[in-house]
Amino acid sequence: MKKVSLFVPCLVDVFAPSIGMAALELLKRSGATVIYHEEQTCCGQPALNAGYRDYALEAARRFITIFGDDEVIVSPAGSCVYTVKHHYPKLLMEESKWYTRALELSERIYELSQYLVDVAGVSEIGASYMGKITYHESCHILRGLGISAQPKKLLSAIEGAEVVPLFAAEICCGFGGEFAERYHYISEEMVKEKVNHFTNSGADLLVTCEPGCYLNIDGYLHRHKIEKKVLHIAQLLAGPEFQRV
Amino acid sequence: MVGTKEREVIMGAREEILERLRQVKQPLLPPRPVLPPLREFSFSKEELLERLIDELTKQEAIVQRVESAKEVKAKLRSVLEEEGITKVIVSTDEVVKPFDFPGAGREWGISIRPHTDFTDRDQFKKVVFEEVQAGLTGVNFAVAESGTLGIIHDEQEPRLISLAPIAHIALVPTDRVVPTYEVATDEVFKNGQRIPSQFTFITGPSMTADIKATPFKGMHGPRRLIVIIFDSPEEAKG
Amino acid sequence: MKARTEEFNEIAQHEVKNEYARAFLGLLPPIIAMRRVQVMGSFPDPEKALALSQAIRAESVARLPELLEQFEKNAVEAGAKVLWARDGKEARDIIVNLARERGVSFVTKGKSMVTEEIGLNEVMKEAQIEPIETDLGEFIAQQLNRPPFHIVGPAINVPVEEIRDLFMKMGILKEDTTDPVQLGYAARLYLRDKFHHIKLGLTGINMAVAETGTIINVENEGNIRFNKSSPRTQVSIMTPEKVVPDMKDAMHLLRLLCRSCTGQKISAYVTMDTGPKKRGEIDGPEELFIVIVDNGRSIFYQDEKTREVLRCIRCGACLNTCPVYTKIGGYPYGFAYSGPMGQILNPLLLGFDRTADLYHACTLCGTCRSICPAGIDHPALFLYYRFREVEMDARFRPKRRPAKERLFFRIWHMANKKRARWDFSIKLSRVMMKKYEKEGWLSSMGQFFTGWFKERDFPAASRQTFREWWGQRKGR
Repeated sequence: MKKVSLFVPCLVDVFAPSIGMAALELLKRSGATVIYHEEQTCCGQPALNAGYRDYALEAARRFITIFGDDEVIVSPAGSCVYTVKHHYPKLLMEESKWYTRALELSERIYELSQYLVDVAGVSEIGASYMGKITYHESCHILRGLGISAQPKKLLSAIEGAEVVPLFAAEICCGFGGEFAERYHYISEEMVKEKVNHFTNSGADLLVTCEPGCYLNIDGYLHRHKIEKKVLHIAQLLAGPEFQRV
Repeated sequence: MVGTKEREVIMGAREEILERLRQVKQPLLPPRPVLPPLREFSFSKEELLERLIDELTKQEAIVQRVESAKEVKAKLRSVLEEEGITKVIVSTDEVVKPFDFPGAGREWGISIRPHTDFTDRDQFKKVVFEEVQAGLTGVNFAVAESGTLGIIHDEQEPRLISLAPIAHIALVPTDRVVPTYEVATDEVFKNGQRIPSQFTFITGPSMTADIKATPFKGMHGPRRLIVIIFDSPEEAKG
Repeated sequence: MKARTEEFNEIAQHEVKNEYARAFLGLLPPIIAMRRVQVMGSFPDPEKALALSQAIRAESVARLPELLEQFEKNAVEAGAKVLWARDGKEARDIIVNLARERGVSFVTKGKSMVTEEIGLNEVMKEAQIEPIETDLGEFIAQQLNRPPFHIVGPAINVPVEEIRDLFMKMGILKEDTTDPVQLGYAARLYLRDKFHHIKLGLTGINMAVAETGTIINVENEGNIRFNKSSPRTQVSIMTPEKVVPDMKDAMHLLRLLCRSCTGQKISAYVTMDTGPKKRGEIDGPEELFIVIVDNGRSIFYQDEKTREVLRCIRCGACLNTCPVYTKIGGYPYGFAYSGPMGQILNPLLLGFDRTADLYHACTLCGTCRSICPAGIDHPALFLYYRFREVEMDARFRPKRRPAKERLFFRIWHMANKKRARWDFSIKLSRVMMKKYEKEGWLSSMGQFFTGWFKERDFPAASRQTFREWWGQRKGR
């Protein structure tokens, strides 16, 4: 049985733990034994993006210390995986020991859908949904990690579901961390457009692999009382019990 | 001319700028990717010609294809009649010169004057800006990849002839059709050769879409580009 | 051009509500972006073609001093005069003097962003020399005294009625019409007269080829060709990074530039000048001056990261694909350069204290990076600027981040170091959120995160974090 270490992003830990529970469930179904390091906190992305390099560096070292010996690390958040995989080595470039460990670790960390399809080799994972679904391609997942075929494969294997295309699926939804707060008036226009495309797609459910995108779009839908649903892919695949705690 | 004091400032600036740039250690560059050649490279002569005409037409140039040099004069005459053009200025390049278009013009009752009729720059400019309705030139190259005419400007090929009049008529002998830009520039910019003062790529009539994103032809340069393609004597001989 | 980069928020908030601009931004950039993808298909291997142009620009910048000297040598050998300027003032002085010496009362200008960067037009006017923009879009923007809306279409957003009114006021337009084609033809006639009589034409430079000393310009309208053919004096202005190694490289870049810029295979006219006209030629410049203006570039060349900014070929593809630019248009960026390429360049030219919004107003979506023919990693540069800003690196003249923000991250950092602290902070924030929570949702948090809460709700912190749930499962 493969040992997989679950890395739960901070946003999920605090605001959407059901995504973490769903990820855990899916990993179990794929045949893995899941370990969860209870000391884990945040990968440092918020500090990194805001420019607080020293804080991000400490978060990086802490992460590597906690996860460094794991065979495989999986997370239901592409931007966090991207931070570890892509940014940690760059941040630590001047500390040769840490740099080597970061490079090494970058080979063993996966986004959830990428792990399920490419590593565990499963696409049919006992999911079912009656209705039309459409997929939003998150920035760090698509352009950062090159992941697109894998979530689509998982979605098309869902029993009963019809996957319809989303116009301009690869355009940013406007979250961008601090951007959504600081430049909210631009961010609002971006999420509004994303939701318009969603509405026009004919789907009743929008799926994303990124917790930030999920919170952004869901927050807009809820405020404007729009009768449409958005889910993180883990929640959809794991089943209704994982869909809002 | 630039005065001594100014010269000093400029040389000072030069040294300062270059000195700062030189301070940096040049990084090792990764090897360049090797590109597969453009498709046009493996085209036959017929395919190249077809591609050229296709691209020219896409750019809204008007293409007239005649078989041999013998038919060029007649074709030009009918083009001028159709377009209502009675005043033309022609270059003296090696493509147009043999045809003696000025002589033909006298026959047809149309004014086709070579630029050599004017030795004074301002006189020439007045004619080309205000008097003629078309400029007639040959080309040095016709690049199939994008329907681009390559023209070397020199004593026989004034720049304004293919620019100022509202129509530009270009004669293209088929032996000057080449697949890609590099075939032309390799020739024009050969090391050690006298590089021409200006080499121009012309692709279609002048255009813009700067007002309300509405595209139209004929902004500053010619509104109409008419290309007469003919088999060069060598080609015709087969 | 006077920089208004500090007014980013004000102008952007206004522009985002401008329905007319939004209609354009929703249509034109995506169309060009789509055409770009289509026309890249003319390469047997589009990805490799992109990689090659990126490699050429990386090499051009890496070999900059050597290539500049080679370019100068060859250009001078061909009869051009190469003049160097440290900054905008020196460049303006050179050009104004050249014009004065030749008794010129007006010059016609082809599109040149660096002349906007150094504010050439204002200084020329003060020196009683009228600078007339001849690119149709620049002509309109200049007359209306507006910054460029888009790198390629500077006045593309201006309503036709406004253009009609302007042209009638200038006496250019006789008939009342709002037909873009008729308006264009009216401008053509007016400018044609200027082209006929100019004594000095001013152009920018798209590429300066080191191998041959050739300057290359790319255009669709023909105004640059006039500037290079009609007057006896031609002055072409460039910044150092425009050099490319040789003609082969220039041809490949030409293909990428045109495809990236307007989705064309090639623009209507590409002119390649090597020295002034030769003896016996009846038109073309008797004198060709090439002005190289540095304006700080040799300084940020010395920083390995900011050096990358110099790779830019000014194609504007990043604007067309930027989800932020396509909501706000060019005005908020407040300077000659807008979109992602302006966001990386303006801070280096103007200082971080004046341009903080430019490198913060980005979601780091990475679309610009993915299509850049020069291989620039814009998101990495934004992060680098943000690092330099927090660390108060004096080279960039940053302003200190607000105290509230620094405190927030200090707390975040302390909490992040130990799980117990993290858990405690969450418990604390749950208490704080309680008064705002309604059925598991927050519509407001008082004075916190007011930006987010304007149009969006946020889930309240869950009753249990994942960690707490996990601990409970394990019976702890």
